Amino acid sequence: MKMGDITAPMAGKVIEVKVSPGDSISEGDEVVIMEAMKMEIPVVAFEGGTISEVKCGVGDAVETGAVIVSI
Amino acid sequence: MANFEAAMKKFEERKEYSLSMGGEKKLQKYKENGWLNARERMDYLLDENTFQEVGLFTESAEKAMEGRSPCDGKVIGFGKIDGRPVGSLSCDLTVLGASSAGVNGKKVGYLKRMVCGKGIPLVFLGEAGGARMPDNMGSKGMVTMLGNDPTQYQRLREAPWVAAMLGPCFGSPTWYTMMSDFRVMKKGAILAVSSPKVTCLATGEETPWEELGGWRLHSEITGLADMLGETDEECIDILKNFLSYLPTNSSQLPPTAPVPAGSGKEMPDILKYLPESPSRVYDMKKILKVIVDGSELFELKANFARSAITTLARIGGKSVGIIANNPMHRAGALDADACEKITNFLVLCDSYNIPILMFVDTPGFLVGVEGERKKLTGKIINFMNALTLVTVPKLTVVVRKTYGQAFLNMGGGRNSDTIVAWPSAEISFMAPETGVNVVYNMKKEDDPEKFAEKMKIMDLDKEPWNAARIFNLNDVIEPAHTRDWLINMLTYHFNYKTNGIGQHLMHCWPTSY
Repeated sequence: MKMGDITAPMAGKVIEVKVSPGDSISEGDEVVIMEAMKMEIPVVAFEGGTISEVKCGVGDAVETGAVIVSI
Repeated sequence: MANFEAAMKKFEERKEYSLSMGGEKKLQKYKENGWLNARERMDYLLDENTFQEVGLFTESAEKAMEGRSPCDGKVIGFGKIDGRPVGSLSCDLTVLGASSAGVNGKKVGYLKRMVCGKGIPLVFLGEAGGARMPDNMGSKGMVTMLGNDPTQYQRLREAPWVAAMLGPCFGSPTWYTMMSDFRVMKKGAILAVSSPKVTCLATGEETPWEELGGWRLHSEITGLADMLGETDEECIDILKNFLSYLPTNSSQLPPTAPVPAGSGKEMPDILKYLPESPSRVYDMKKILKVIVDGSELFELKANFARSAITTLARIGGKSVGIIANNPMHRAGALDADACEKITNFLVLCDSYNIPILMFVDTPGFLVGVEGERKKLTGKIINFMNALTLVTVPKLTVVVRKTYGQAFLNMGGGRNSDTIVAWPSAEISFMAPETGVNVVYNMKKEDDPEKFAEKMKIMDLDKEPWNAARIFNLNDVIEPAHTRDWLINMLTYHFNYKTNGIGQHLMHCWPTSY
């Protein structure tokens, strides 16, 4: 994991990916929506920047702390 | 006459020496950095002209340190905060690193005995390098300082103890901080057992200061810092603000404050903060702010275990302790850290006669390997144990979800004096879909029609009406009336027999775990 990596806050399933590589985002923007414990959980960026890599796809199961988007 | 003159001259000289701290050069460094020195901190903390120093003429008992150790590096005394008496200790890092030694050990022990015995709060303004060398080396050294006071590390919560970490804290300021009910950390301060230098000598690892014990570590990972401040002044203001919610000691009630104009004015629109769809998240703090006086929350450990909220507040001018789930983080699920944070908070409120309010919206405990490795099982039980030992009023409002064992931990069953639900509440053992998975061993994709049929059976009854019908909820209440309901219930659930003073069954609960 490096600085600028956005990780999954808990284990769950990715249900929506809202960004692509090259997109410019600000702090607080939603990058991915996950589903866990029957709830839709938005994962937000903690700092602004440009998306360098999206490391997950819709339907993927992710673990807590897994890198899902890199800035 | 001459005798008195000579004696008074000595008095003035010694006083000047005692007040000189570590000397101009070291004090200048504090000024340049915008830091308050030990005595300035004490003055900032206390109401003007109330500081009554004790031990002004102390210094090290060692011959070699004579004339170089004013107040033996630790300034102690009594004073008032907002007109209420407190005892206070301010470490003077400019004098031999405020290191612990025989004389200052006696001073600190004395101060602790007085505040515990009389029942007044204790404030630590901490920064120090650890134990003094070479004084404490060898078998004589160990006993004169370290082995001298059998109650040195005992904590019985007779009165609130609060600590500010205002610089490097190694050794004694770390211990005082860990014994305290509330800890504020200045950014740039360090809290650790020993300095990076000593640690490196012991382990061979070179660890950067911030990693060993900086504000990020203690605010987000360990949760040992309840709040953060940028400057000495900000940290001290935070300590004073905390104390304003608490009584002077555990046999008294917290002070009542005036109710700010406009408190609760948004109550008719409170439902706008709750999403229509039950699978959507929101920030529970927004709901809490509508309800409390002046929309003001004094939140402890805000950056730690964020799926739970532990905050002091006032309702109708009275201090309350609010425990709530925050769906915005981890869907409001209770993980190991959240259980710890809540347990800590239950002990704090119960020990100082502060009624506890719970606002519930949780899908349950966050199961999985991460939790098991952090002993989630034990933390759930510590939480339950603490909840049942509370003897201050417990009022619970189920805002939305409450499932499984978490339902009990969050005030359900008979674990509150009164529990009510909003019409939006969902109460059950587990989410209906999971129920079908487990009981009928099938997934939605296997046979959607049959699944839907079984879902109807599992989905029954999670609305609050049937619970209310058999008096397992005291009531279902209109969300817009929640503040008024709370003010009312705080009146009726006050313990009139003891004038609101609890039994403090957790007064010896550990101060960290």
